[in-house]
Amino acid sequence: MTSLDIAPFANALVLGLSIASIWLIAAIGLTIIYGTVGVINMAHGEFIMLGAYTSYALQSSLGLPFLLCLPASFAVVALVGLVIERGLIRYLYNRPLDTLLATWGVSLVLMQGVRLIFGSDPKYIAVPEIFQSNVEIGFASLSVFRLVVLAITALIVAATAWLFYRTRFGMQVRAVMQNKEMAASFGINADRVYMTTFAIGAGLAGVAGSLFGVLAIVLPTMGTAYVVQAFLVVVVGGGTLMGSVAAAGLTGELQSVFAFVTNDTFARFLLYVLIVVFLRFRPRGLFAVAKGRR
Amino acid sequence: MTTRNLYHSKPAQWAVYGLFFVIIALIPAFVSDGFLLNQFAVYGIYGMLALSISLCWGFGGILNLGQGIAFGLAAYGMAMTMQMQSQDPDSNPIPPFMLNNSLEHLPWFWQPFWSTGGGILLALVVPTLFYVVFGTLMFRARVSGPFFAIMSLAMLSAFATLILDMQPYTNGANGISPPSPLSIFGTDIDPYGPTAYWIVCGGLIAVTVGAKLLTQSKFGLVIQALRGDPERVRFLGYNVALYETCIYAISGFIAALAGCLWVMLIQYVSPAQLDTTFSIGMVIWAGIGGRLSLLGAILGAFLIQGGQSYLGDQFLATWLLVLGAFFIVVVRFLPKGLAGLLEKVLGALARQPGKHARSDLPHAISGAPAAGE
Repeated sequence: MTSLDIAPFANALVLGLSIASIWLIAAIGLTIIYGTVGVINMAHGEFIMLGAYTSYALQSSLGLPFLLCLPASFAVVALVGLVIERGLIRYLYNRPLDTLLATWGVSLVLMQGVRLIFGSDPKYIAVPEIFQSNVEIGFASLSVFRLVVLAITALIVAATAWLFYRTRFGMQVRAVMQNKEMAASFGINADRVYMTTFAIGAGLAGVAGSLFGVLAIVLPTMGTAYVVQAFLVVVVGGGTLMGSVAAAGLTGELQSVFAFVTNDTFARFLLYVLIVVFLRFRPRGLFAVAKGRR
Repeated sequence: MTTRNLYHSKPAQWAVYGLFFVIIALIPAFVSDGFLLNQFAVYGIYGMLALSISLCWGFGGILNLGQGIAFGLAAYGMAMTMQMQSQDPDSNPIPPFMLNNSLEHLPWFWQPFWSTGGGILLALVVPTLFYVVFGTLMFRARVSGPFFAIMSLAMLSAFATLILDMQPYTNGANGISPPSPLSIFGTDIDPYGPTAYWIVCGGLIAVTVGAKLLTQSKFGLVIQALRGDPERVRFLGYNVALYETCIYAISGFIAALAGCLWVMLIQYVSPAQLDTTFSIGMVIWAGIGGRLSLLGAILGAFLIQGGQSYLGDQFLATWLLVLGAFFIVVVRFLPKGLAGLLEKVLGALARQPGKHARSDLPHAISGAPAAGE
């Protein structure tokens, strides 16, 4: 095989890595929330959307540089998540299907609220010039911004892993994940753990949104495209951090390879069918959380 | 049961249902405007959809966010049938949009739709079959409620993109609009006439009666049991996956029927019928009306869709905001919807006269309704 044949395929593989990083960063907040609290948050897409709008608003009103918008989005959306958790989610923990529906209601409210405040026209987030060029890596060519997304995703995964496996708070979270009542009887404030984890998960969605607002345009409906994909990563991964990383990597690469062979939409259809079949044989996902029957 | 709550008495329920049937059957006697009749018939379709969700979710405990799969696929099947009715094998064998997309021959999967009966049969059977296969895969693997809901949403999204993408075969985003109304046994069925309305009305009544009888049968009891605790039902020896697949497929069949009737009324189908918002909307209708009540779900659909049409155009953005907020309130405080509210009110009235109500323990504690509603 000549290098001319390999090049587009290698490009597809590298693009797959970028797609995987996008799926992962969209899903990481959801993984944390689902893995710990067991809540299926249908408003996750809207958290992403809020992050994008926060960045847009900060940029257009305060002129904040893009890289500072990221932590700002984290803070703002985490706050929103906190309010929602205290106001609504907290009362629905033992009703998973109802949480799914209630958060769908929240997503409607958030989407329409943003539409009323900002209007339905697309907004754009400005990034430094250097991010807009392409870079060559061997055979493959990738936009610099996608590399930035990759880097930030890796950073966030590392930070989250550190938080969950190296800090005291992380240990509390893992205890609560495995058995809430037992953890509480050891003196861990499970309520507060849930609240904080939800807020962190929301904040991470906000960061993802800020990044996505650059990759795609900022619209009130932008979140809905990411919800299903983020959920699939969580479902295939099983709810753990490692699972989501593996699932995102696998699905991202598969999507890219399928798209290389057929086309984008048929690739997605094929991927979804594959996931359904996979779940038939491994319903708990790749790396499921070890815990008792909820 | 020693409860005297009128809500749970079977004769009272059937009386109310009967009244409802009579009212909707008599509508054409009072409404002569064809457009309005068509509108009401469409509400009837939404009622059917809400009923199918109520059957699957309220009674079976299976949250299905992708009901649009059955609805949309059946709608496409019906549209294809109606389209082929206006084609002629010799002079005009290929639909115009295919010619626009440079197709020379009719694709193989369009061929069966030359026959009206065959086309309608396919439109009903194929989605139901998909539900059987998908359900079997998911329920055999004991995929839990929320995961199943997400997977159904994913499959819906996958089908929507597939149909959108296969532009030459399905006309993509433009959808299929058959040029003439459905023709059965040689007669055209005018979508704006009472005949079409009564067909839909008859369908709604038949499906409601069938569903109600189903929930009151032994099958219905098992379904409600596995909604409460599938593990326990499994230990009792029932093949839970089989029952779940059954109710899921029945619900899908009803949605497919709704899809066929819808195209008969609207003469149009597009990938928008496989939109996630629309499918989740069905769940909202059933949720607000009362998922444990078949009639409640139907009325919920009427209420919300009617409200949307009435308030829709000026206030669409705020309407959705209000709907979302209302839905949050209902899920949080009224999990059994407005029908559940009625149940509580009637229950309170039943206790008022001060007669010694022997403790209706099972209701008070578990909050589950008596069998049969």
